[in-house]
Amino acid sequence: MKIFTITLAATLSLCASAAMAQQAAPAGNIENGKKHFNSDGCWQCHGTLGNGANLTGPKLANTELPFEAFLMQLRQPSNDMPPYEAKIVSDQTVADIYAYMKSLPKSPDAKSLPLLTGMGVK
Amino acid sequence: MGKKTSDQAGLDRRGFLTGVAVAGGAGLSGPAQAQSNPAQAQPAPAPAARPKAPLPTAAQTAAENEHPPHMEALTTEKTGSDFMVDVCKTLNIDFLASCPGSTFRALQESFINYGQNKKPEWLTCLHEEVSVGMAHGYAKVAGKPMAAMLHGTVGTQHAAMGIYNAYCDRVPMILFTASAGPVEDRRPGVEWMHSVQDGAATVRDFVKWDDYPWSLQSFAESTVRGYALACAEPPGPILITADGKLQESELSKQEEAKLRIPKLTRGTQTVGDPAALKEAAKMLVAAENPVITVDRYARSQQGVDDLVKLAELLQAPVVDKQSRMNFPSQHYLYQNARGGALVGQADCILALEPVDLFGQLNRVRDQIERTWRRTSKPNAKVISLSTHDLLMKANYQDFQRYSAADLAITADAQATMPYLIEAVEREIGDRKSMFTARGQKMRDAFKAFAARAHADGALGWDSSPISGARMFAELWNQVKNEDWAFMTPNNYSGNWQHRLWPIEKHYQYIGSSGGSGVGYEPVAALGAALAHREIGGRLPIAIIGDGNFNMAPSVMWTAAHHKIPFLAIIQNNRAYHQEVMHIQRMANRHNRGVTSGVIGTEITDPNIDYAGLAKSYGAVGIGPISDPKELGEAIRKGVAAVKAGNPVLIDVVMQPRG
Ligand code: HEC
Repeated sequence: MKIFTITLAATLSLCASAAMAQQAAPAGNIENGKKHFNSDGCWQCHGTLGNGANLTGPKLANTELPFEAFLMQLRQPSNDMPPYEAKIVSDQTVADIYAYMKSLPKSPDAKSLPLLTGMGVK
Repeated sequence: MGKKTSDQAGLDRRGFLTGVAVAGGAGLSGPAQAQSNPAQAQPAPAPAARPKAPLPTAAQTAAENEHPPHMEALTTEKTGSDFMVDVCKTLNIDFLASCPGSTFRALQESFINYGQNKKPEWLTCLHEEVSVGMAHGYAKVAGKPMAAMLHGTVGTQHAAMGIYNAYCDRVPMILFTASAGPVEDRRPGVEWMHSVQDGAATVRDFVKWDDYPWSLQSFAESTVRGYALACAEPPGPILITADGKLQESELSKQEEAKLRIPKLTRGTQTVGDPAALKEAAKMLVAAENPVITVDRYARSQQGVDDLVKLAELLQAPVVDKQSRMNFPSQHYLYQNARGGALVGQADCILALEPVDLFGQLNRVRDQIERTWRRTSKPNAKVISLSTHDLLMKANYQDFQRYSAADLAITADAQATMPYLIEAVEREIGDRKSMFTARGQKMRDAFKAFAARAHADGALGWDSSPISGARMFAELWNQVKNEDWAFMTPNNYSGNWQHRLWPIEKHYQYIGSSGGSGVGYEPVAALGAALAHREIGGRLPIAIIGDGNFNMAPSVMWTAAHHKIPFLAIIQNNRAYHQEVMHIQRMANRHNRGVTSGVIGTEITDPNIDYAGLAKSYGAVGIGPISDPKELGEAIRKGVAAVKAGNPVLIDVVMQPRG
């Protein structure tokens, strides 16, 4: 998703107001974020733990995107993701989802998984 | 197949007497001894004590064989359907799959009795979509078609989607359907419902050719012609209607003597014109950033090996659209992981058998306004080498959006490949090392792919539902020492097969469904597994979505009945998940109900017991498995059962998408 992130950052610097770009992430309610991640469809394309899926949506767990970029992706998706307007998922709910994604345990390092790295692909 | 009643047997006069005569005149001990099938009438060792009865005289036999004028002829020794079987036998067809239907009752009886149920062997399916889907998967592994027999009208209707998949996938199959015959012969009621003037009309838009022969001679010629046409590149299904009256009517010796079965000659394949190949070679050699895109290309290992040769000559990356197994996934020129970027930078693109050239060069965005943009450079030179334009019909839109190549070579890409290689070699001459630097860049890029796949695979490693990467890793661990072969496409399982497994041999992956008609996975897997069984020594694996499986769960019965072993892993996300995402998209777009996308798309409440379902069909059923830690052991058991000759289903509760 590197390429995507760069594009998004570029779009942001063009579109987002200076005030918004400087906002810190609002405090989020992890429990409420979890609830909405599971009820509002995010899990469908991004995996039930935000783990990402090759063909439908990138990883969101432990996202390194700044909150503004995260929010902007919902309001004006960079490509094929369906839009989520504030009417149906408020900024606060997005902040909750963001907090939930940040709170998820890190995936194990691939190097510690011989079952994964031991397959034929080198 | 109950025994004849004594009434029926009494009427079967001709057969009755034959039986008596063959049995050496063991006495008229009752109708139960009547035999009409000479194959079953082997003389039993005669009890020593019995006196021999005299054989009938020639005059007596002649009198018996001639029908007494006052009695209706109710039996016959040979029918048109027997001749139809003779025709099929000349084509060396190994299997014929069918769900029974009375419109072809004579043909079925001829295949199993007159034809001795060999070449082709009759396979019992529980739905016509299974019959044709089996033929679809079989041909992709066996490299030759098998046949399927469809009941008149209703059977063809059931089969239609499977035929469409095979047509879109350009896979040959020999289809027969039937009709009850002329109006004055039809019994009232059902026979009329199952009669049709033009039975092929239901599927004509997506078979390569069809015919309703009105004579046996014509049946012979059309079936042989159809077989040759089905196999000619681009291949596809053909359909022959076997008229009921032709099947059931007596075939006299005189008529039979006049019939001729033409020999089968398979046409040579279309090969690209040498001038065009020279031009293509010039463009490819002159390019700074050539890319080879490949889609429905390789039909055998030869095609794969030749493409490796071409790619290495040019040190050009290969971007594989995976409608077939085209290129070894562990070759450094297999650059799918950055395919989009490579096509975007290319100054020359060689597209081999593209299913959708437009889609390779452009992108359409799925928002309210469907905007599209070219993702390849506007001045990139595009060469297509393809049979795409040789089979195109008006109605169904599988031909995709029009996209003009700069050089369009209409020819079979695999057959042409050796000549293209020659042309490129000539163009390179003694400058063999000119692409070394490019090759090095490809090697460097390739090195990063595995690390990236492993990093992605670690995401959600311990999650329940189980992640795609975890499932494929557990599977690999159990089958790495087997001669495994995937029989299902990977677009719904996160592309992990190609990202994590070394897919080197052509038979290890048979590509996509063609028409994306849901239900392809189980049925094609069944046919492919049959072909693998015939070849021997292989472990066939199918990764089947739960939605897909529900279209044809009875494949497990056919597999158990005909002893076709394979491992089916149900990638169970308890939904038609593609549609879950579509409905979500619409709800978002309409700013309402973003929580209700699962209505009408989820397959829950109750959850389906797939393992129980498999068991009820006589297969081995394991699961559901939702804990990744239990998966390895479940697969180990499953593999052992497949190796013991069973069809096996393991229900794995998985992430919505790989
Ligand atoms: C129908 C599929 C789908 C759904 C539902 C969906 N997304 Fe996405 N998401 C995508 C795709 C595809 C992308 C890649 C960018 C694009 O195509 O717009 C993406 C990208 C993102 C990104 C950018 C990630 C990055 O690192 O670049 C974020 C953040 C995101 N989605 C959050 C969400 C949240 C939060 C929800 C639920 C409220 C959600 N998405 C629902 C498909 C989806």
